[in-house]
Amino acid sequence: MRCGTGQDPGGDRNDNPGNEGAVLSALLEDSVEDLYENAPCGYLTTLLDGSIARINGTLLTWLGFTREELVGRRRFTDLLTIGGKLYHETHFAPLLQMQGEIGGVALELAAADGTRLPVLVSSVVKTGTDGQPLLIRTTVFDARDRRAYERELLRAREDADRDTARLRRLATTLQRTLLPSKLQSVPGLDIAAHYRIASHDMVGGDFYDVFPLSDGRWGFFLGDVCGKGSTAAALTSLARYTMRSAAIYDPDPVSVLGNLNTVMNQEYRSDDPRFCTVIFGVLMVEDASCLITFASGGHPPALLLRADGTAEYRFTPGGQLVGILPNAHFTATSVRLVPGDTMLLYTDGLTEGRPTNGRERYGEEALEAFAVDLAPASAQETVDAMSELLDTFGDGLDDDIALLAFSVSTSEPPS
Amino acid sequence: MDVRTRNHVVVTGREDGPAMLLAHGFGCDQNMWRFVVPALEARFRVVLFDYVGAGRSDLSSWREERYSELAGYVDDVLDICHELNLVQAVFVGHSVSSMVGVLAAIREPDLFAKLVLITPSPRYVDDGEYRGGFSREDIDELLDSLESNYLGWSAAMAPVIMGNPDRPELGEELTNSFCATDPLAARTFARATFLSDNRADLAKVSVPTLVLQCSNDVIAPPEVGAFVHAEIDGSELVTLDATGHCPQLSAPRPTAEAIVAFAAGPP
Amino acid sequence: MTELTATVHTSAGGHLFELAGHLDFRNVSYLREVVEGVELGPGQQLIFDMSGLSFCDSTGLTVLVMARNRALAAHAGFALAAVSGRVARIFRVAGLDQVFSVYPSPEAAAEAWTRSAG
Repeated sequence: MRCGTGQDPGGDRNDNPGNEGAVLSALLEDSVEDLYENAPCGYLTTLLDGSIARINGTLLTWLGFTREELVGRRRFTDLLTIGGKLYHETHFAPLLQMQGEIGGVALELAAADGTRLPVLVSSVVKTGTDGQPLLIRTTVFDARDRRAYERELLRAREDADRDTARLRRLATTLQRTLLPSKLQSVPGLDIAAHYRIASHDMVGGDFYDVFPLSDGRWGFFLGDVCGKGSTAAALTSLARYTMRSAAIYDPDPVSVLGNLNTVMNQEYRSDDPRFCTVIFGVLMVEDASCLITFASGGHPPALLLRADGTAEYRFTPGGQLVGILPNAHFTATSVRLVPGDTMLLYTDGLTEGRPTNGRERYGEEALEAFAVDLAPASAQETVDAMSELLDTFGDGLDDDIALLAFSVSTSEPPS
Repeated sequence: MDVRTRNHVVVTGREDGPAMLLAHGFGCDQNMWRFVVPALEARFRVVLFDYVGAGRSDLSSWREERYSELAGYVDDVLDICHELNLVQAVFVGHSVSSMVGVLAAIREPDLFAKLVLITPSPRYVDDGEYRGGFSREDIDELLDSLESNYLGWSAAMAPVIMGNPDRPELGEELTNSFCATDPLAARTFARATFLSDNRADLAKVSVPTLVLQCSNDVIAPPEVGAFVHAEIDGSELVTLDATGHCPQLSAPRPTAEAIVAFAAGPP
Repeated sequence: MTELTATVHTSAGGHLFELAGHLDFRNVSYLREVVEGVELGPGQQLIFDMSGLSFCDSTGLTVLVMARNRALAAHAGFALAAVSGRVARIFRVAGLDQVFSVYPSPEAAAEAWTRSAG
């Protein structure tokens, strides 16, 4: 059995090679008309003014019109949707006139039953022997599959855009819930805080809080989990919860950090180390002063702004990062604030900021000099001044920044 | 950024001739005028431009708030007039630019000597007895198809027009996509155009006006041309024996002749 | 602005990583990949030459800790060499100067390791 290239015309099969050629050409000749009428695409011939002169069966079938309804009665533009008509007027026709041909244009045809048919259209101007344009020959391809594909692509892109927007909202909400909405007020003490987010896409790792202890004292902490995103956020929660619970049991700062260190060590994986730096302390307000005892786990040093206009860092040398060393060492110290004094805690986003959005980091020296200039200042004044300073950094902030300041109230608290 | 660059302003023709500003309509750019410019250049100082968002205008200057209303396009026109110190210019506006011209002439009548409105329409959507030519559904369908980018060439596949030595009229400068418009800008311009209603503004025109329409135009049917002519006091109406909405492309010679005859005629 | 280059010199004794530029959250994964990509066996040593490093943030520290852990797990040595300026200060504040073995130069680090192993 031989494989044929066309239909078997039937009758006797003759293996004579001469006959094959004759059969084939008869087939081809016979089917030129057939090829035009039943082509896998639509064919249309119009006069220069667009009047339909000839149309093939395929296109008629797609449109649902009869030949009599269209030939000599309608123009090509009548078959287009409103958008298509406009496009035809402003692009298709002028280009065809200028170039003599135009290809691959996406349009929509309006079928007799009102449905829209997405198609791809190509046209060429047929000229006479003297070069004068005579007719326009147009091919119409069914673009339904391609259009369905494009629709899928568009929908996928819209979904992605929606997801991004939703993620961004989620990050912002999460950020807000991880920070205290309002700090506790401590009698006799002015407290001010500020949080600045570097990026709205990712939840940051800064955290702080002030909370009451059982004996009339108050606990506080300010820290920075390394990294961003959901893991950092989870670790932030863990750190806050652990320190608050540990402090209720034993508020000694070194013990609290030791506790936190143990807990975080359990969480940490050696191929993805997670640590935090943190200052934890206890506030004891007595008479008109406040004794602050605190320990630092690898965190940037607190700043003291004194009533006499001086300012300096309070270092805690030897304190180590919390969470990755099994027996991390923490250094404790204490400070007494009198009216007019302020203590400021901050995260390293401040000193690592780039004031001119250039390469230079703001740095510890500059911050100290700024504090010297500022002192004396209350907690709120200090935080406000820092916030204004950060405003001047513009886009030069890579990391979130948290600020927490304490000062002894200079006015009598209401009795 | 200066206005000339922003709107890709091109000045051609007689330096000492009266100024003529050609404003393209929706869906295209100053290339629309290429067949009539030669006839106009001989007598006028011709100023061509692209609205921001079209053609080779500066896309970074595009603002959705400004270009969602026809007023934004009027601003472009007035900016250009001020920048070029055009006074008593002849404004030739195609399609929706006709209305832009009308609004510009109402705002600053001293800038314009005459208005030529080619296939104008003050409102495209039918309204009671007023026949704009389109139903609200038609316009929604149009905006929808623009929304889906299913019209013409996708942004990624804009065609390249080859320079053709057999067709000298194509010219070398037409090597980029003809009338390519940023899709968002096009959609915004479409909304501004097809949802506008400036019928009430026509009576306020105090400048001599020519309404040029085509005998067979689906987008601005003859009733609309007649309406505009009736509303603008003292205006002239010329109907060209041409098919389609863009006579400056499909019948450039009669179009240029009508413009010149009116513009060069008595004030 | 946030470029980091890590040139690796491999010998029988281990690997020397020459870091230059900035080490921060933007390029930390690149360095992590480089570190994870080297073969390390018992008795070998991993040395980080920090002389070209002008900045290292907390995420940069995690890579160093991770590299140290890797070395320890493989019974190999880990040392930092020529840590200076700002980076040294960051280490001090974080208390890591007590954890990492820090030497003035890669040669000193290698010598110390050979002496301790021998």
